Amino acid sequence: MGLGAVQIIVLALGVLSLGLSALAIRRDAPLVWEWAVPTLMQRAGIPEFKTVLDYTAETGIAHSPAIILNGKGASILWFAGSQEAQADVDVVGVDIAPDGTVTPITPRLTRGALGRAFEPRQLVVTLGNTVQNDGAESALYTTAVSVGGWAMASIADVRMGPDGPLRARKLNLSPLLNRSFLVKSPMVGYADGTYALPAYFEMGGTYGALVRLDGQGRVRDMRRIQGRAHAIQPMIVPLDARGAVALLRNFDSGGRRLLISRTDDGGRSWDAVRETDIPNPSAPVAALGIGAGAILMVVNDDAGDGGILNLTVSEDSGETWRHLKTLEDGSAGDARYPMMRALPNGRILLVYSTRGKRGIRAHVFNLAWALGA
Amino acid sequence: MGAGRVIGALTALWLASLLGWLAFILLGIGVQAQLSVPIALALGLGCAFLLRDTLPLRGVVALLGPVGAVLPFIILRQMAAHLGAPVQPFGGMELLVFLALYTGFLATAAGAIPVDFYRLGYAPIPVAGIVLALCAYGFLQGVIFVPLLAVTGQAMWVMGWGSSNYFDHVLHPVLVPAVVLVLALRLF
Repeated sequence: MGLGAVQIIVLALGVLSLGLSALAIRRDAPLVWEWAVPTLMQRAGIPEFKTVLDYTAETGIAHSPAIILNGKGASILWFAGSQEAQADVDVVGVDIAPDGTVTPITPRLTRGALGRAFEPRQLVVTLGNTVQNDGAESALYTTAVSVGGWAMASIADVRMGPDGPLRARKLNLSPLLNRSFLVKSPMVGYADGTYALPAYFEMGGTYGALVRLDGQGRVRDMRRIQGRAHAIQPMIVPLDARGAVALLRNFDSGGRRLLISRTDDGGRSWDAVRETDIPNPSAPVAALGIGAGAILMVVNDDAGDGGILNLTVSEDSGETWRHLKTLEDGSAGDARYPMMRALPNGRILLVYSTRGKRGIRAHVFNLAWALGA
Repeated sequence: MGAGRVIGALTALWLASLLGWLAFILLGIGVQAQLSVPIALALGLGCAFLLRDTLPLRGVVALLGPVGAVLPFIILRQMAAHLGAPVQPFGGMELLVFLALYTGFLATAAGAIPVDFYRLGYAPIPVAGIVLALCAYGFLQGVIFVPLLAVTGQAMWVMGWGSSNYFDHVLHPVLVPAVVLVLALRLF
């Protein structure tokens, strides 16, 4: 084939590429970078606090509980097995009715069922942190491992049916064989009704990430939340249409303080992650915007004791924090991986693992209890 | 997921090319290319379609995914060269530059360098620029392979067949050891 023919073919390919680009640009819906601002939650009323679940696994682990909201109430899902990251770990859970009734524990997402839900089918060795996909009905994001440990994990978008996963696909987040991305914290809403997924990269130079998705649930953009510290597990709280704060766990072995980053452009860019003055034993936090720039946070704020878990509040967008309640005093072993979400009835559901990843505890309370003296 | 079946079929073909390449390497020890290529491709296709639900192949899909165009293209290119097709080999400098750029790209993804080039692969306008640049490179160098791979990857990306990031269609980390091996063999 002569050079002229090659160049004609390449020119034809270039023209085809222009057509494909025109199609892609026409289909692309520009992302909106304005947060859904948290509504002002009711602070007055009769203080309410109720422990709705206090479960201890007879054997093995029960860790990283997630809150799944639905029209009737909520579900709490966690991963259970002989040991974390072992090949017998599945996701189990309970349903909590609005009156606080809790159903028995049942399997919700197994490795085998998830492997069969991929097209084509894939090997899934173990499961980890799971969160609700707020952008779709009956959908989850789960941390799935096909080989190795957490550093080799991927995030799977799982669409659930009444009997388990119907279909699944992995989010495309890294050119490193799509590895080392995990989830921990709930999604964050945008003003246009879409949601972004806080995620983190855990291999080598760790960083937090804000993942934007398109109308089909495919990754459309990703913005890093990073700095010199090994920041993971971002908990993002919008403050106004443009501003938000991300509270992150320091994954450094010597890290003794909670990390923070801020954005003032809807999550497009984030300040370099820096240390706060809040002690923290390398543990994730749960936080909830309660309106008017106030944030409720559940945090392990004793760097030397992962069993101490406190409820705190900031009235100045996360600059300073005030202790509200001691949730765990260390007597029940490590109490970690909290998640906190507002229920449709205005109450707040808080879950975390206890007894060093061997139990799950859940409380329902209102702001009158949280902020009361 | 309307594209699910297409992705399933493309994954089977992708697996077939990988398995066919393994068979081609093994058969190449004692069988001539004219015979080993069709046998290897038939073996690859047969294994990919008949054994795709077995544990090892489900593991390969999980381990080496997402499916892209680059590995089948390189495998078919190598087989075509063995069959005597006029395939222009990559130059040593070309491979060295690619290795340096791609290793740097992977380092940014690993957080070793605080920039994120991979993110450009989600957006249509940067992807359009990248593909046109690769076409221009092919035009100037007089090679079809790179533009063909670039545009095929773009077509798969636009159709939603596989990864939502363009780079996954035209690059794969397996290329790093493969290029290092090729360069080492040329040196010694």
